[in-house]
Amino acid sequence: MSLPRLKSVKKIWQEMTNFGRIGLLILLLLIFMALAASHLTWHPHNVSSGPPLAPPGKAHLLGTDELGVDLWAQICYGARVSLIVGLGTALMAGAGGGIVGTFAAYRGGVIDRLLMRLIDIMLVMPSLPVMIVLAAFMGSNIRNIILVLVLFSWSHPARIMRAQVLSLKEQGYIKMARVYGGSDLYIIFRHLLPELFPIVAVSMIRLASMAIVAESSLAFLGLGDPTSRSWGLIINHALNFSGIYFTPFWQWWLFYPWLFLTLLVISLAFLGRDLERIADPRMAKGL
Amino acid sequence: MPALEVDSLHVKYHSASQPVQALADISFSLAPGETLGIIGESGSGKTTLALGLMGLLDNKTSVAGKVIYDGSELLSLDETKRKAYRWKRIAMVFQNSLEILNPVLNVQEQVGEPLVKHLGLKKLELENKINELLDLVGLERDWKTAFPHQLSGGMRQRVLLAMALACRPELLLVDEPTTSLDPIARREIIELLERLQKEYGFAMVLISHDLACVARLTRHLLVLYGGRIVEAGKTEILLEDPLHPYTRGLINASPNFFAFRDLWGIPGEPDGGNAAGCAFAPRCVQSLEQCRSEIPVLQLLSGGRKVACSQGGIMTLLEVKGVSKAYRLHNKTIQAVNSIDLEIRHGEVLGLLGETGSGKSTLAQILGRIIKPSAGQITFQGKPLNGELTRREKGVQLVMQDPFSSISHRFKVGQTLREPLEINKVGSEQERERRIIEALTRVQLPFDELFLNRYCYELSGGQRQRLAIARALVMKPALLLADEITSMLDPSSQANILRLLKGLQNLEGFAMLFITHSLDLARKVADRIMVMRHGSILEQGSTQRIFTRPCCCYTKDLLAAAFEHEHN
Repeated sequence: MSLPRLKSVKKIWQEMTNFGRIGLLILLLLIFMALAASHLTWHPHNVSSGPPLAPPGKAHLLGTDELGVDLWAQICYGARVSLIVGLGTALMAGAGGGIVGTFAAYRGGVIDRLLMRLIDIMLVMPSLPVMIVLAAFMGSNIRNIILVLVLFSWSHPARIMRAQVLSLKEQGYIKMARVYGGSDLYIIFRHLLPELFPIVAVSMIRLASMAIVAESSLAFLGLGDPTSRSWGLIINHALNFSGIYFTPFWQWWLFYPWLFLTLLVISLAFLGRDLERIADPRMAKGL
Repeated sequence: MPALEVDSLHVKYHSASQPVQALADISFSLAPGETLGIIGESGSGKTTLALGLMGLLDNKTSVAGKVIYDGSELLSLDETKRKAYRWKRIAMVFQNSLEILNPVLNVQEQVGEPLVKHLGLKKLELENKINELLDLVGLERDWKTAFPHQLSGGMRQRVLLAMALACRPELLLVDEPTTSLDPIARREIIELLERLQKEYGFAMVLISHDLACVARLTRHLLVLYGGRIVEAGKTEILLEDPLHPYTRGLINASPNFFAFRDLWGIPGEPDGGNAAGCAFAPRCVQSLEQCRSEIPVLQLLSGGRKVACSQGGIMTLLEVKGVSKAYRLHNKTIQAVNSIDLEIRHGEVLGLLGETGSGKSTLAQILGRIIKPSAGQITFQGKPLNGELTRREKGVQLVMQDPFSSISHRFKVGQTLREPLEINKVGSEQERERRIIEALTRVQLPFDELFLNRYCYELSGGQRQRLAIARALVMKPALLLADEITSMLDPSSQANILRLLKGLQNLEGFAMLFITHSLDLARKVADRIMVMRHGSILEQGSTQRIFTRPCCCYTKDLLAAAFEHEHN
């Protein structure tokens, strides 16, 4: 079943602001970097390929770290980790939370109340400390990190979805569709999903950027996957180099991973803000 | 012993082209001093009936049946014997027009003519009698020498009345006494007739289009259509609660009976009454196959009322018995709808009036199957109301108050209208297409591809509400529930939509529950009114009755509050 209000790519592009377009372009560029990492780099990302702590130059585009590993290669491959964590968390938490929220609102009653209490508990738990503990206990590989992040982020989309479905349920056109004999599935697919999809999408973009930052934080704290070489881990290594700020090394070793991380998060924020505006056709009209 | 008894009177005119059955199977009786009104559209046979009673139908007309007056059968009498009755005992006030009076006779000669002919009065006696009659009908003696063309309509009516009263008849037939009179003359004539009837105690047959006049002057009423009696009964009850769809149509079309209502005639034209079935069937909103094949007979119902309809009069479409709805709110039970009984009949507009929070919308949503009642029974055409009724044709359709909520802003116009048809798999693709275009035409919206592909959020409130009505109409409902449908619109859109809806209702004949808190709107649109408060129905009756003679205090308060400005 086609979603009735999914607009063509061209139309979305036309409706976006310049900030949104920039965000989208950067995001696409970073995704391209991650996908084509092996073609974009000429040095290995995991073994030494030159002098340690070489500044950016012809041989090493962004310089090398203290073991002489090429930073450009590390960042390109590290983009994979960041994006997988971001997208994986966003998809799983967004879809899972969305389903839970919709289910709770649609069924109501005891199920709703139980799920809501659970969401409340998840919301009040300080996520980063618990994440650190869990990551420490469960062992740190990418899968576990994603699972931990999902566990702590599904409650947000669930809450949003529940509120949306609750208000939609009271809408006349949903009631009319039911009176006309529309089944639950019909109503969910024909009326609820098109209405909810943009909100979920926006929520997922927020989750993605949260997850990327969280993964970097964990890696930064030394709880990341040591084999994954994510951006957070590069920063972690750079900061572990004692007295880095007294040397010029931070200008590339610390700066470039930070720059890419910031670019990714900002591009997601721009895109999210724009999509939120476009998602509601009334907002697009300025009504 | 009735003074006048008519037994299955048939009258057929033999015109050049084809014979016309002017009257068929007319039977009624009239006690001495009693008053009887006869109403019906032009061509329904009212005047023919009066002429028949007077024995004034010419030889080319075939007349069958019996007219018994005071024990003797008039139709079989020869002309000379009949003359003894005519004018002396049965007189007629002819319909007022210039040609009814002899243009070369003045008032004195005109009024004197029957006195000379029937009573043989002469000179002074004649003079005195003429003066007496003119005084009686309130015409100044100065007019005695005037000729008909010099008189006003009201004066001519008085002359006609004076002529009819000349011989002190026992039975007076009055044909359209108030047509073409201005309001003052009309009132004077009505008062005159009322006074004379009381003073002289003659029996009166009043033929009129003027329902207010009939309501005031008569106690019994016959409704004629296509030469047949379709309904008979006591005037007051019949006009308050008509049983035949035709009577209801006549009442709805009469501004002089209830001035505030919007004017809507009965759609279609009478077609001679030669058909094999009920003559009214082609124009009737509830006609069935049976109506077209058999002629209904006048049946006696309880309370001495009679109606000629194969369905036994206007059918009950929806019946609600003891329906309640209670909500729980913080350990408190709120009785939104409290044991309501109501009835919606075929093709009528029932106005449900009440303040905000009186439970009107809850009731509408119960009837529209959106919420379930906590108690009570609802039957639709004799069967329990179930979910299937909102999904099929000839069922129940609800139009909600807020068009911005009742229609998805994400849908296109075409999708919106197609939704009920698609869910319920009604018709083929072409059939759906045709119906959508038909519904859009009905509500006066464009129906080109461009409009069908427009998103609903682009439409104005008025357009969206029309679209909501169109969505209800594609399902061809027998009952439309209109829940405050214009409360969110500007006055102009409101007027447009209501006129449109009322026009559709009048044309297609669906019944409508019109829910509103606006008395002005209810007074314009509804045939019957129910007043609701705190979940209960306080009062119900015809719109005319509720707005002119309310019984319940709350209704009186409502009227006083709403129409304060009208009395200043």
